[in-house]
Amino acid sequence: MQKIQIKRKECTLDKELLELTGNVLSSNPDIYTLWNIRRDILQLFKKSNDNIEEMSQVYNAELHLTEYCLKINPKSYCAWHQREWVLLTRDDPDWQKELELCNTYLKLDERNFHTWDYRRFVVSQCKPSLKDEFDYTTEKLMDNFSNYSAWHYRSKMLVELYPDRKGGRPIEDSHHKHELKMVQNAAFTDPDDTSAWFYQRWLLGAVKTTIDLVNYTVTPTKNTFAFSKHVDKNYVSAKTKLLINNCVVNGEWVSCTGNCYDVLWIFQHSTPITKKINIKVEYEIDNGQKQIIQGVECKEMFYIGKNQIKFERNYSEAVIEELKDQLESCRQLLNLEPDSKWTMLTTTIFLHCIDAKAYHTEAIQNLQKLKVIDKLRAGYYDDLIAKWCIEKQLCSDYENADLALKFSFPSPVSSLPYLQYYSYCDSVDLSNQQLTSNIFPSLIVLQHCKKLSLENNNLTTMKNFPDLDLVELNLLGNEKLDRNEIELFTKKYNFNIIY
Amino acid sequence: MSFTTKDVVLKEDRPKTLLLQKHSDYLASYGLNKDDYEYCMTEYLRMSGIYWSLTAMELMGQSSRMPKEDIIEFITQCQDSESGGISASIGHDPHILYTLSAVQVLAMYDRLDAVDIEGIVRYIVSLQQEDGSFYGDKWGEIDTRFSFCAVMCLSLLQRLDAIDINKTVEFVLSCMNFDGGFGSKPGSESHAGLIYCCVGTLSICKRMDALHADELAWWLCERQLPSGGLNGRPEKLPDLCYSWWVMSSLSMLNRIHWVDKKSLEEFILACQDNETGGFSDRPGDITDPFHTLFGLAGLSLLGNTSIKPVNPTYCMPQETIDRLKLKPQILQI
Repeated sequence: MQKIQIKRKECTLDKELLELTGNVLSSNPDIYTLWNIRRDILQLFKKSNDNIEEMSQVYNAELHLTEYCLKINPKSYCAWHQREWVLLTRDDPDWQKELELCNTYLKLDERNFHTWDYRRFVVSQCKPSLKDEFDYTTEKLMDNFSNYSAWHYRSKMLVELYPDRKGGRPIEDSHHKHELKMVQNAAFTDPDDTSAWFYQRWLLGAVKTTIDLVNYTVTPTKNTFAFSKHVDKNYVSAKTKLLINNCVVNGEWVSCTGNCYDVLWIFQHSTPITKKINIKVEYEIDNGQKQIIQGVECKEMFYIGKNQIKFERNYSEAVIEELKDQLESCRQLLNLEPDSKWTMLTTTIFLHCIDAKAYHTEAIQNLQKLKVIDKLRAGYYDDLIAKWCIEKQLCSDYENADLALKFSFPSPVSSLPYLQYYSYCDSVDLSNQQLTSNIFPSLIVLQHCKKLSLENNNLTTMKNFPDLDLVELNLLGNEKLDRNEIELFTKKYNFNIIY
Repeated sequence: MSFTTKDVVLKEDRPKTLLLQKHSDYLASYGLNKDDYEYCMTEYLRMSGIYWSLTAMELMGQSSRMPKEDIIEFITQCQDSESGGISASIGHDPHILYTLSAVQVLAMYDRLDAVDIEGIVRYIVSLQQEDGSFYGDKWGEIDTRFSFCAVMCLSLLQRLDAIDINKTVEFVLSCMNFDGGFGSKPGSESHAGLIYCCVGTLSICKRMDALHADELAWWLCERQLPSGGLNGRPEKLPDLCYSWWVMSSLSMLNRIHWVDKKSLEEFILACQDNETGGFSDRPGDITDPFHTLFGLAGLSLLGNTSIKPVNPTYCMPQETIDRLKLKPQILQI
């Protein structure tokens, strides 16, 4: 190594240095500086040598060295990158040969992501048909369904080859159906191999998604707008218009958290809000159409506009038929193997996707069974139960005019998704759950809440409690909260704190 | 074809308690013998090796056993005045990986004055490409690891303003996959290590909103195997370093409760070597500073009170991050 460094310092970039670095790299291919030196040398050779034949031989020798190194360490970033560099630098790259090299390496280790990345690089240069590459993944999968790397590559090409542009869906129907059949076949061939199950879950979720304005609340002190997804200021100001007595109101948009992207936006304007005025919001959806959401005066000078909300996925008839068929097969497999986590989980997801409302009880019961069969992930199933229960409750809460929120869960929860959907509530009861102090940042969306109960939870600190305009906060039954900390907290705020 | 889940089996005689003193002794004496084979073979990553050792020692409150002045001197010698970048060791070329490691070490020592900060900023800015990606060095390798290095390094220097953050985020998001995870380049397969880098980048750039949090966190919690250990992607063996990359990602996603803490802790403790000290990738294998850091950092995230709190985004002591007044974003639950 020292000899190498001396020669480099003196700028003697020659064949001897090439030999020295090659020898060292042959036993330690990860010394990145040596590959740098080799590139310097090769660049110098090219400058002083017009002979394509000779340079070709030099490049071939370089590729030979990388192959040798890859035998020692097939995951050497340096060796793979050197190969890329040679192929991009030489005037006569043989891309077909490189593709064959990939095929060979993938036969030895079909999960080596360096090889797959290199394959994608070669493909981007020589551009074979996407369909050929797609067929290559089919071939690899037929050989061995337990090939997550192949499923992954396939997922990229599926959406590029067969999108449903007209319907705005990621995957065109007949292909969506075909993939569902293929993946079920793979999953049933070996229910313990996880690869196909992951791909299947993705296929079930590969539907058109929208960004919805879910509610707005207009009062003399604050106007808030809640969305189903995080949006930025440009989006909100372009798509949303507040109309008071049919006049558009001009104002400024500010995010609730101060971040650039948020689910709750505050609209600041100077038009007075009084009793019995006509409040409407115009919201532009993605096909250019405008939804009109009428505001209702729920209490004096307190106007709420609730949009139609739904959580069901939009599948085509053909796909729904396929899902119902597959549900049957899953149920049969579940009868034979009642403790198979993947069969149970997938059956449950099918139930939720086909008809969340009708199958709600069965799905929740399954998730509770999964907490036992797959106990490592009990926390995950808890949160999924909370999510599906809130979705169900939201559908009925959005039909009524209640301003108070109380959750009804089968067991205590530690997370609260969709909380911005309840931003209009003046009274929020989060008692008797398993919430920790981690929940505090999420509570910022309760901008109109006056009465908040966190009684009987697992709070440990009041740090990061959000800035809310409360009248009353109930902290009883949180044994780990430090009395001194609460007392300091009460001095900071002038609302009533029960502890 | 019958399918068996790839996993390890924990033996009865495995270590079950935290052997802090042994790890401190192991790291304090690592590298003292400059002729040690492994030590020589890893010269090309020395700067990162120093970061791993020092961070682990800081978390154990034992950093006074590290040769502070020697390390700082070493770092100053590794900065290339022409490019501004820092190399892995003396006589090696600058690279963004080692530039980050050097800055992390100096941040912990509160000695950022020891290097040419403008030079480092200049180096990192020079590596950003039009699509928002970052080269590792002038030779053009692109990888989301380098995006993470860039934003982490600049944020520690309070110079995030120097690069195009929107484009940085755009490039990282272009690497998102069907499972919500991330790979090294657009089109690359999801891998826990790269997921940590991409989620970390979004945490520093305050764009955690762009993640498919539920899908990604589910994929991450599925890394836990019956032994309690975590793998890096489906159908692979567990490896201790994933206890960090998976857990820190779940921490930033605020879903650390989706993993079974007790069995993971058992696995991590089993990876200790009660004779030599240090942690290895799997129980019974040879230990190294890399796995020692991630074992300790993983235990810290799980709430072990004998170890100092570690910041999940930066993999540095929380007290260092607080001192620098950095506030990386954590997702709401």
